[in-house]
Amino acid sequence: MTIVVNAPFSRSPYLGRTIENGARLAASEVNAGGIPIAGTTYDLRVVTMDTALSPARAVVNMRRAVAKHAVAVVDEGTGIDASWRVARSAGVPVGVVFEGGREIIDPETRPNVFRIAPTDHGVAFRLAEYLVPKRLRLALLHDDSDYGAAGEQALTSAFSQNRSSVAIDETLPSDALDLGPQVLRARRAHATGLLVWGRPATIAAVLTAARSSGWNVPVFTPPAGSDPFIRQQLADHPQWVDGVTFAGGRLTAEVGTGPYLGFEHKYESSFGVDRVGVESGGRPVIAPPESAMYAYDFVNLLAAALLKAGSTEPAKVTATLNEVTTEGANGDQRAFNRHNHEGVVDDDIYFARFQDMIYAPVKDDPLSATLPTLPQTQ
Amino acid sequence: MRRIALAMLAGLTVAASAHAAPRANYVSLPSPLAPLSASPPLSGGATAAAEGFRHRIAAKTRVDVALDRTGAPFAVTATQRLDVRVLGDYFFTIGAPVLDVQAAPGSASSPGLRSASILWAGFNPGRRTLIARATLAPAASAPSLPLRIEVTRGRVKLVNTTGVTTGSYTADALVPPLLRYLAELQRQVARGETPTSGGAYVTSKPTSTTLRIVVPLRVTGTVGTRTVNTVVDGNALILRGGGPIRLTVTAAVPQQLLSDPAAGQSGRRLLERASRATLTLARMRQYQTFLGNPDPTGANETTYAYRSASRPAPPAATIPYSPQRDWTTTIAVVIGLLAAAAGAAALWARS
Repeated sequence: MTIVVNAPFSRSPYLGRTIENGARLAASEVNAGGIPIAGTTYDLRVVTMDTALSPARAVVNMRRAVAKHAVAVVDEGTGIDASWRVARSAGVPVGVVFEGGREIIDPETRPNVFRIAPTDHGVAFRLAEYLVPKRLRLALLHDDSDYGAAGEQALTSAFSQNRSSVAIDETLPSDALDLGPQVLRARRAHATGLLVWGRPATIAAVLTAARSSGWNVPVFTPPAGSDPFIRQQLADHPQWVDGVTFAGGRLTAEVGTGPYLGFEHKYESSFGVDRVGVESGGRPVIAPPESAMYAYDFVNLLAAALLKAGSTEPAKVTATLNEVTTEGANGDQRAFNRHNHEGVVDDDIYFARFQDMIYAPVKDDPLSATLPTLPQTQ
Repeated sequence: MRRIALAMLAGLTVAASAHAAPRANYVSLPSPLAPLSASPPLSGGATAAAEGFRHRIAAKTRVDVALDRTGAPFAVTATQRLDVRVLGDYFFTIGAPVLDVQAAPGSASSPGLRSASILWAGFNPGRRTLIARATLAPAASAPSLPLRIEVTRGRVKLVNTTGVTTGSYTADALVPPLLRYLAELQRQVARGETPTSGGAYVTSKPTSTTLRIVVPLRVTGTVGTRTVNTVVDGNALILRGGGPIRLTVTAAVPQQLLSDPAAGQSGRRLLERASRATLTLARMRQYQTFLGNPDPTGANETTYAYRSASRPAPPAATIPYSPQRDWTTTIAVVIGLLAAAAGAAALWARS
């Protein structure tokens, strides 16, 4: 049985590769025993297709996946608003493992689309819940990429009851190298905090503009803030990254770091470590395989659904994905149901702050304060 | 049932106690916690994914039962409120023959729906209230309701359906330990604590027997203009008259078993009474837990509200469109068919 990984391998190679590796790792583990269905034991085979961040290419890839009789598609999320229909026509389930836009998931209208990744809605509301009591006046900065636009929508909704916490709301050009004027406008609006929702390049550009002008304003970001690209861009000024706080899906469960570290060990044994390219305390910094974890979990849920359905028919597998639960790579339970196709609950979004190029969960948030710091150096 | 009784006998601890009278053997009384049937709680109850700790949960459930003219339930909804304590992640599965589920006002999160369960997942910052309003399949959930109502012309019959026959044992027993245990059981129930298991010192060989266990039901409300405030036990209650039914039912503590005077009762009689008390408490606990509680030791409370209602009208039958044909067309068709038949006959005659 074929699983297609539809991701931006050429434009966001780190992201594409980590998603692919997560899917491959799960498939190899499932294949150790195979999936017995009606007297036949099946293996999972992973095939990759590059979206290049183009919605049009994503749709073409989805058609190819259907033509290959793929049993499921693991998708980064680009172009999903169009491609899900192609998959639906063949009953193929799609697991989104990166994009967090609210409209992507709707069990009523898009019954074949599932997601294991923090939602923009959850991230925005958790950020509001965390920041409003701090009495900061925030500049909401979002770029004009799909990711930034979805973030703008989520932030507008999250801060709708607390507009007094918003000093300025501004859209940034995602391809601009210098965001000095926009950051200056935020400063003149008497912002006391920047909430930047954009691609990693945008976040790096905002940090550069603010810090190079001597403005040591606190900066908050969605999960993109942990992308290695930002640290690579600011490698010459590690102190500029210090204090940046991002919201992300928790990597460990109540049982502790054991399950996650076990997963990370398997991942690194199979594919090597993902080096960030900077150092902390003189030691090389590595990136935890977060998106890989989500792809890994989706493939495991898929295998559980195949077993329970006792069928390789995609429509049956899609329906059965609502009825199975597995233990995720981090030890948390992963599950969908008929009302909810989100595998990461909003409650599981935590905050972490950078110091010397590595991050640690903050202590002034109830969930984050319970989480351990994961090793990020070699 | 016989097998259960034999198993219980086999499980008895027959260790002689230094404190007991000579030749008295210690035996366990039936558990006041172990369910006596598969349901309630519905669909196997509830589970919590183990993540190294346990949440403390108090569950309150209101079951709304809509009755038709004959008293038969045609719609059952359950609203379950979980008061969850202890900081940390939660993942609860509440078994139920659920058709749909929604978050009720005041819930901190939304429940998930599966074919046979309600799902809760999230992080509890210390205390969290989860409230689900579930529409249940009437055919699958009605058999687990504690009261059946039969309406016929001029009378309403209330039938306690909690009765179950279960295995137990009988023997001669020492009186003082049984009196102490019954008093302790009564105290625990009065304080709302989880009852603890107990034992007895028997002076003869235990023999298996069966007991019919019925939970007394506190029934309040109205039937027509008549006010009802009574306890329905093993005997059905017949109310003369009729009218809309609005009754609230809760499983009641078997006070008689726990607190009736025991003076003059033999050890054998007291043993049966203590066994009956623990089994009735176990059965009561089942009806206090119509929907499962993910915390096995958590407090449970269930109120059943029976209400007369109108069955929803079945969807209007669709009348298929059939084009009208006038008599001239019909005659023309018949003539055409006859002509065709005649032609076919002529061809066949020549062939």
